[in-house]
Amino acid sequence: MLEIKNLTKTYGEKKAVDDLSLSIQAGEIFGFIGHNGAGKSTTLKSVVGILQFDEGTITIDGISVKDDPVKYKKDLAYIPDNPDLYDYMSGIKYLNFIADVFGISATARKEKIKKYADLFEITNDLALPIAAYSHGMKQKLALISAWMHDPKLIIMDEPFVGLDPKSSHLLKEMMREHCDNGGAIFFSTHVLEVAEKLCDKVAIINHGKLIKVGTMDEVKGDDSLEDVFLELEAV
Amino acid sequence: MLKTLVKKQLFEVFKGYFYDAKKNKMRSKLAIAGWFVFFVLIVVGLLGGMFLALSMSLCAPMTEVGMDCLYFLIMGTISIFLGAFGSVYNCYTALYLSKDNDLLLALPIPVRTIVASRLLNVYLMGTMYLLTVMIPMELVYMIVTGVTVSKLICGLLLFFVISFFVLALSCVLGLAVAKISLKLKHKSFATVFITIVFIALYYVVYFKAGDIIRDILANAESYGERIKGAAYVLYLFGKIGTGDILCAVIFTAVMTAITVVIWKLLLKSFTSIATATGKVERIRYTEKTVRQKSVFGAVLFKEFARFTASPNYMLNCGLGILLLPALGVYMLLQGHVLLPQLKEAISDRPDCGIILLCTALCLMTAMIDTAAPSVSLEGKDLWILQSLPVKPAAVLRAKAMTQILLAGVPMLIACILSMIGTDFTISEKILLLVMPLMYVVFSALVNTVIAIKFPLLSWTNETEPIKHSGGVFISIMGSWIIVTLFALIYMFFGYEQSTTIYMLYWVVALLVLSLIMTAWLEKRGAAIFAEL
Repeated sequence: MLEIKNLTKTYGEKKAVDDLSLSIQAGEIFGFIGHNGAGKSTTLKSVVGILQFDEGTITIDGISVKDDPVKYKKDLAYIPDNPDLYDYMSGIKYLNFIADVFGISATARKEKIKKYADLFEITNDLALPIAAYSHGMKQKLALISAWMHDPKLIIMDEPFVGLDPKSSHLLKEMMREHCDNGGAIFFSTHVLEVAEKLCDKVAIINHGKLIKVGTMDEVKGDDSLEDVFLELEAV
Repeated sequence: MLKTLVKKQLFEVFKGYFYDAKKNKMRSKLAIAGWFVFFVLIVVGLLGGMFLALSMSLCAPMTEVGMDCLYFLIMGTISIFLGAFGSVYNCYTALYLSKDNDLLLALPIPVRTIVASRLLNVYLMGTMYLLTVMIPMELVYMIVTGVTVSKLICGLLLFFVISFFVLALSCVLGLAVAKISLKLKHKSFATVFITIVFIALYYVVYFKAGDIIRDILANAESYGERIKGAAYVLYLFGKIGTGDILCAVIFTAVMTAITVVIWKLLLKSFTSIATATGKVERIRYTEKTVRQKSVFGAVLFKEFARFTASPNYMLNCGLGILLLPALGVYMLLQGHVLLPQLKEAISDRPDCGIILLCTALCLMTAMIDTAAPSVSLEGKDLWILQSLPVKPAAVLRAKAMTQILLAGVPMLIACILSMIGTDFTISEKILLLVMPLMYVVFSALVNTVIAIKFPLLSWTNETEPIKHSGGVFISIMGSWIIVTLFALIYMFFGYEQSTTIYMLYWVVALLVLSLIMTAWLEKRGAAIFAEL
């Protein structure tokens, strides 16, 4: 589904991502781990089309982010590490805005909003301005907006930060369900225990270079993911 | 620490002068100096020039009849109004709405340092405008009456008294606005309403200023005596400027005491107000089926939501929305009287009435510049539009369209009312409608180009992109220059042909430029937006 080939992104002299290639298939939860500043967010933002990259290609089902960004973005959803949303809108107006952009019919959006807002228990807060939301509530709203249009690929940067334990659990279930239904998820995390339990595949990035990628068993073998990660980081 | 915080805030205000967002690097020292010289020239040239002319017209007649104190009272009051007018909202937003309040309060920085740095920033910005009145006031007075040591000392003390009075007034009113806004339900519209009432009062005084000044000059002695008798404090205030050391010392002492009291009051209330979330009305969500919008419709809706959510945005970038229909109503009622008078007054350019009317209409459009800060206002939310399947060109189109609608509807009303209220020919009336509306489109496109060329995305207070950014400055100055050129070219050269032909030239020129800008925005502008 997602193909990243030879992705390179530099900031001035510094190579934030260096010749990175990986592919994610339908049905996979793909974890992306690395130390702070390793290039995770830069990679994710390049995949989403927020950052222009210097070299390489990124495609979803053959559609390139550079050649046809609008068609490409129709198939994905993105949740950043810090969900800065439109503070001047109410939660429901924001969701309707997203629904309009993705062309979701009035009836379908009503059902989706009810379903996910009930799951995350923020239905009663949807009429409030986003400015009054806590970090966790904004995160929940961002998650609803991502799931609402049934994207093929969901990209998430540290999705569990700010969520309460119940919502974290719910999100993990939703991620699994999404991939079981033929979707794919590419997310970064520092919580290695979560990655270990949840991911089908994992990639470790260090100073912009991909140093290990494969199924969870291939990457960690008999060790814990944490041990493997720390060992690779030390090299 | 105080120096660091003040430096940080001033850097934020003048960031565009130091930092080239396009090249993503600091400007050269020469470029920074160039930008500041340009800024000072504009402020000193426009405001300073205006108040120099006023000082010159008031000083000599008043000093001749021994009413020097009345001169200082009038000029001092003007400087207080000018300083406070811009500083109240600045003080409110800088103190209580800055996005880094929580961050700074969490750091080991004393609250008094945070408040002092914010206030120093407000003080410096207010003083900048205040000096455009005070320097001409003192200069003209010294030239007319001669320089003495006591006048120089008192001049400095008067500056201290006025500048700190402006700061104190701004703090008290800013605190009041903060306390009220915590309790208001529809604070955006309430703030806009209150401010517009103040602006209306300001304009009433402004338009009557000529008559008031003439009246004061004719009866300076009698007014002076009346003030001395009924408002002795004001009389003493005026005496400071004349070199009365005793008055200067008394006022300085009183002002120092007031400043200390207000400082204590602010320190006491700052943390609770700056960290309060305000009254959020518990609105229970009820499920509704909403009509599906197109992608463009959704982005347009977002732009309108942004505009109506911020009193700061509405007041600074949308004031013309009210002024245009007001001008239309005035022309409807007075047009038949005003235009013949104008024809008589400017007899060598008898047809200039329609040109001047279009100039006035377009000048008011310059006060609607919502598109200019619109890209900067995306700020940290920019990722949303960039990650959604929306063409960058559609986003820019929506930003331009928002301004076209906000300016176009009141302009249409103003034009129709002006057409009814005046006796122009049919062809002139058609152009009275077409030319200003074409200018509305042109202005919106120019501002969108400016928005994309001068983005200021990292701000901690929305006043920075709305009020202080280089883009907004260029937008307003540019509009004034273009509209002034429209009138001046006619007065000097264009009058040789009919007004219809002259206006038609402008319509065609504006149309061609608008088409060029549209093409640029669709391709290059969209590419720049995608790369922000």
